[in-house]
Amino acid sequence: MQRAEEARALPGVRMKIGLFIPCYIDAFYPNAGIATLELLEKLGQDVEYPMNQTCCGQPMANSGCNKDAAAAEALFVKNFAKYDAIVMPSGSCTHHVRDNFDAIDQTDEVRHVRENTFELVEFLHDVLKVEDFPWAEFPHKVGLHNSCGTLRALRTASMSELGEPFFSKPMDLLNKVRGISFATPKRPDECCGFGGTFSVTEEAVSAKMGTDKVRDHHQAGAEYIVSADTSCMMHQQGCAERAGVPIRFIHIAEILNGARE
Amino acid sequence: MSTSRDAILTRLRDNRPDPKAHPLPPVARLGDMDNGQARFENSLQILGGQVLERQEGDTLATAIARRFPDSKIICSAVPDFDGTIRIEELGTPQQAASVDVLVVRSPFGIAEMGSIYLSEAQLKDLNSAAHLTQHIVVILSAKNLTANMHTAYMDRPEFHTANYGVLMSGPSATADIQGVLIRGAQGVRTLSIWWED
Amino acid sequence: MKVKPVNHAKAAEEFIEDTAHMDFHDERLWDLRQKRDEQMHILPEWQELRARASAIKEHTLANLPEYLEQFEANAKKNGIHVHWAADGAEHNRIVGEILEKHGARSLIKSKSMVTEECCMREYLEPRGVVVTETDLGERIQQLDNQMPSHIVVPAVHKLIPDVAKIFAEHYHTDPNDKSAQSLAWQQRLAARPVILSADAGMTGGNFVVAETGSFVVCTNEGNADLSATVPGLHIATIGIERLVPRMADMGVFIRMLSRSALGSPITQYTTHFRGPQKGSEMHVVLVDNGRSHRLGMEDFWTSLKCIRCGACMNTCPVYRRSGGLSYGAVYSGPIGAIIDPTFNERKYSTLPFASTMNGSCTNVCPVKINIHEQLYKWRRVLAEHHELPFVKREVMHMAGKLMGQPTLYRAAINSTEVALSTMPRFVLYNWLNPWGKHRELPHPVKQTFHSWYKQNRLKTKKKEGESA
Repeated sequence: MQRAEEARALPGVRMKIGLFIPCYIDAFYPNAGIATLELLEKLGQDVEYPMNQTCCGQPMANSGCNKDAAAAEALFVKNFAKYDAIVMPSGSCTHHVRDNFDAIDQTDEVRHVRENTFELVEFLHDVLKVEDFPWAEFPHKVGLHNSCGTLRALRTASMSELGEPFFSKPMDLLNKVRGISFATPKRPDECCGFGGTFSVTEEAVSAKMGTDKVRDHHQAGAEYIVSADTSCMMHQQGCAERAGVPIRFIHIAEILNGARE
Repeated sequence: MSTSRDAILTRLRDNRPDPKAHPLPPVARLGDMDNGQARFENSLQILGGQVLERQEGDTLATAIARRFPDSKIICSAVPDFDGTIRIEELGTPQQAASVDVLVVRSPFGIAEMGSIYLSEAQLKDLNSAAHLTQHIVVILSAKNLTANMHTAYMDRPEFHTANYGVLMSGPSATADIQGVLIRGAQGVRTLSIWWED
Repeated sequence: MKVKPVNHAKAAEEFIEDTAHMDFHDERLWDLRQKRDEQMHILPEWQELRARASAIKEHTLANLPEYLEQFEANAKKNGIHVHWAADGAEHNRIVGEILEKHGARSLIKSKSMVTEECCMREYLEPRGVVVTETDLGERIQQLDNQMPSHIVVPAVHKLIPDVAKIFAEHYHTDPNDKSAQSLAWQQRLAARPVILSADAGMTGGNFVVAETGSFVVCTNEGNADLSATVPGLHIATIGIERLVPRMADMGVFIRMLSRSALGSPITQYTTHFRGPQKGSEMHVVLVDNGRSHRLGMEDFWTSLKCIRCGACMNTCPVYRRSGGLSYGAVYSGPIGAIIDPTFNERKYSTLPFASTMNGSCTNVCPVKINIHEQLYKWRRVLAEHHELPFVKREVMHMAGKLMGQPTLYRAAINSTEVALSTMPRFVLYNWLNPWGKHRELPHPVKQTFHSWYKQNRLKTKKKEGESA
């Protein structure tokens, strides 16, 4: 088994990658999944999508029902243990696997899976260190939404509360796309209110947060909200459509893969 | 004696995390070490305090008369200024409520915060006077400025000796009604610094 | 009697419906967060201050019995009467006895969350003691018969007309007063005679210094100083976790407290009480009320580091949109959601779920409490203690089972029919209906990713294999 860290030291190495597509992308946003797959293939990687995958266990664990996450976690390991790296277009799922995946015994296999699971942006930025997306052009003003999972758990961008120097891995990648420009919302890293089951159990607060979020981006002049997390966008899109805020949504993988609209 | 005392202490001993895993960090002297008058005045202004204007030929008395023309009772807690009443003449804490302007000398100020320090030593054991008076004028020497909160707590002996010691940073203030900042809430309505020497 | 869990979601929904109040509340607290950020940027040593504050507090908590004894010995030397209260009831009894001994019928007090915990007003008032809050926001809340909705700005959920109405009722002022300035002046005028005639004064304590036997109180209105220095009797009610070892440690905390809370460099008043003033008596009541128990909770004891700045509330997008009262507890917002369940697990079982676990609270906390991680851990504890609502438990149990069985899962994704037969109808509807209340559902697509992959990759790969 070749570890992703070893591969990182050897640029150009072709890795065997297991692709995980979260349930809501599978069911509602297949284009984000297809773009992720095609992009990794364009970058020369050997990608497989294990057909028996379901879920990483996050919804159960985040609800406190950690024991109920065990079956999903065990299946996840069974599906993905054989890959050098597991890549997924979702920050919160990555956060779960990396930081909270403890409903099952921590065997060597489980540790391998947890240590080698990557969110797409960090995989492109930190592991593959992609310099260029020659096929990508997106002549639009976009507002970047970093999910709280990517921002505060995976640390793919600087956090406003800490006063640290600015950095943004998703923006680094998007800056390599021709024609793109950015809108700056007033509260760039405020949570959009999805929060998994929170979106249902606290629907009023959740919807209010989502509506405020899309308005903030719209008022900043964004034509699109782009994010590495489809769950946030599914929620925000629902809020925007209900509130009549004319803004569109696109996954970062689609832009980097050369989507044009 | 107190059974609750022993029960609480016992429970704390039983429940606490391992003390060896949590050493006490040495005392820190951090941050900007500028103890200059300009920094103090800038901080003072942020917190709503002011410097009492000193015109050519001014004494403290003339400066107060110009700044607070309607004040009737000017109470002095310092030997070198008379006012209309001496603080020692106020018999009870409540009597300080009649004072319009209190004049008092502060042993030190903190440049980082624009704060001045007062204790029972300066207030002649009538601590309420600093809060019941309408306005307070604080005599301060630029030589007695300390840079920041760390230097204040580490270097000033008053924190170890005074029974009552207040750092006042501008006047009483509130923003409890719809976020509107109001200077002069329940305590002094203005705080002015009179620089000496 | 079975205690009902607080219905945060419902209270929050009502709060949101009142747009004017909701929008102001959100903007006002966000503004405090912005001001806090500005202060942080001024101090390059901010993160070092946080790390030190956290380490000092953790050290103190691990050595709390010794520091409490040290404080007690020094305070007694300074002439302070020190009392220990195991719980709220004992605290109230102690305070009642001190007041009775002095024949005190009127008590003026500055803000103290501990007395709220102990429900002290409710205890003293039937016993003939008139208790008057002197903090403006707290006084507004007292007159309106509500709990403070925020630990630093207790009436932040109210607008000027609300205050005008309350003051008109109690102070007979103009009910249409539109000026905050004039309303604050009315409060000053109303409070003065009460302060001057009070028999006793009470304060809380933000910090207790073991080395000197002192305690430190921070206010902006100076009302703690008035409460402590005007009457001849000063009682301070303080939680036992408020200790710091040395006076020199105070610099770290005072430099961050008000910057974190309100974005001002320091509170207007920072007062150090080390002993009674001349002609006066001073009492300190050290209150446990569950704290010594919390110290033994491996995942949650660091919540005792809290210095009550409220920064986590100001930054919390959920708190800003639901209001402090929606938490139905003395402590609201993120810090409340991790402290409250230690007082009553069932009643506050909903609060750790009133969060998206976004983590902003943890980042702003000046003493580095890992608030959002504790929220996550509380959810586990509550599930293990069977404190989750039935529907949520059932949904998660069935979802968990389904996620372990790929064939069944795939069938459920591909056909709603199967989903409906797998999950009881009422469960599914209970779960899905709220989504659509203020949001559109995601659009249906022609093909799942799974089926696209099968068609576009597996088949191709198979063909490639055949031709090779």
